[in-house]
Amino acid sequence: MPDWRRVKDRLFTAATVALALLAVAPLFHILATVVVRGGSVILRGGVSFFTDPPAYPGSGELGGVGPALLGTLWLGLVTSLIGVPLALLTAIYIVEYREGRLARVARVFTSSLLEVPTVLIGMLVFLVVVVPMGRYSLAAGSIALAIVMLPYTVSYVERALEGVPRTYREAGYSIGMTRAQVVFQVVMGIASRGVAAGILIGVAKVLSETAPLLFTIGSARGSYPTGPQSLLEPGDALPLLIFQFAQTPYSNWQDLAWGAALLLTLIILAIFTLLRLLFREVKL
Amino acid sequence: MEPVEVKVSDLNVWIGGSHILKGVSMKAPPGAVTAVMGPSGSGKSTLIRVINRLIDLIPGARVEGKVLLGSLDALRADPYEVRRRTGMVFQEPNPFPHMTIYDNVAIGPRIHGLARGEELDRLVEWALKMAHLWDEVKDRLRDYPHQLSGGQKQRLSLARALALKPRVLLLDEPTANIDPVSTVKIERSIMEYAKTTMATVIIVTHTPQQAARISDHILFIYQGRVVEYGPTREVVLHPRHDLTRKFLGGEV
Repeated sequence: MPDWRRVKDRLFTAATVALALLAVAPLFHILATVVVRGGSVILRGGVSFFTDPPAYPGSGELGGVGPALLGTLWLGLVTSLIGVPLALLTAIYIVEYREGRLARVARVFTSSLLEVPTVLIGMLVFLVVVVPMGRYSLAAGSIALAIVMLPYTVSYVERALEGVPRTYREAGYSIGMTRAQVVFQVVMGIASRGVAAGILIGVAKVLSETAPLLFTIGSARGSYPTGPQSLLEPGDALPLLIFQFAQTPYSNWQDLAWGAALLLTLIILAIFTLLRLLFREVKL
Repeated sequence: MEPVEVKVSDLNVWIGGSHILKGVSMKAPPGAVTAVMGPSGSGKSTLIRVINRLIDLIPGARVEGKVLLGSLDALRADPYEVRRRTGMVFQEPNPFPHMTIYDNVAIGPRIHGLARGEELDRLVEWALKMAHLWDEVKDRLRDYPHQLSGGQKQRLSLARALALKPRVLLLDEPTANIDPVSTVKIERSIMEYAKTTMATVIIVTHTPQQAARISDHILFIYQGRVVEYGPTREVVLHPRHDLTRKFLGGEV
């Protein structure tokens, strides 16, 4: 007579494994496809893939994603310049000045921002920045991305600050530190890894965002943003290029989209590797 | 620097509706160690947090009464000024984990602009020697405190407080979680600091043995009220109050 309990146990285990595989299969499929198709494009293009502008559609030549790559790097930098100080000060206010009513309002608002579709944020910036300026610009894109970044970075930094035990704050006050000295010399110092993680997570998040850019940066395929003055000009970005080129019928542009997809994945991967390294050793 | 007597009169403290200290009056003379003892929850920690105004950080705390540090009216004065003149050591060793051993001691003098360069080096050395930690860390002042033992961390916390040469030193059960060797060193430091600098030292302890070993005066608090106050010898050998006798005998 078969042992039914054992049979049922085996069946259940097999079902669990199968479903788990099913869940991670899409991830592997995406990664594998991006690596294989994007990898061959980047190898074919060589250095000029990273530097050149896209070739004419349907020309049979490849060109590159130079302007979009540079645009993405500029967006990352300017978004951080706007978003990081804002997010840090917001998180500090929420955690260290929690007795104020405004701090509670700030907390509710930033966490609600997480639920606003990013395309709406793009539309808002379109109305408030692009229309008055009369043109698309990298600056407008950075403002939109900074708003997207805010709730992520705020919530990570908030948790990092809250994780600092009260006794260190008391120690700071006990030697006569002011509140600002306690926040910046003690709490931020102890929470520095968590703060850095919050910043990196925010940056990684916005670098791959497409929706906030749709209405804000235009798609200046051929122009290189070389200096700060280019911030007021339209620009391009990797996710936007992927979104638009993938939908065209031109095979050389589709190839560029695959290459850009791999490039973007590698950038994000690099940021998360940095995060891992940062978190390997935490000692309190 | 002149000696400072701590004088508390008719102190009442409420935290979130519960009456923690009920009309406490006490004195702590300079050049001596005053032990505040009592069972846990009796309000000892609250008392010393009123003296250096850390009570301000506790939400919902209300304080009435008078606290004098010499001529300084501690409850009316700027809290940062009060804390600058008082040092504190906490129950949990809490040197700043992101600062080196040296910086942990130097931070106080630095933020108040009291010393720098070689003068600061000498001050750091003095504080670490006073805390009986110098010999163990003099070759690794640039290391971080996570490599120290719990007892060493506590002595580093003590050195951080001493570096400001506070006229009043407050300690909140500083040896409750500390190994016996470090406990002896900390007790010796406290007594030496009081005698050699004429500082006023107030230590909260829950063990009558520690109070008897190191203090000159004992204040016994029970449920927020002062039960007995007097010279250590008298309180330990001839307690006037029945509750004191029971506490000393380990019955309360």
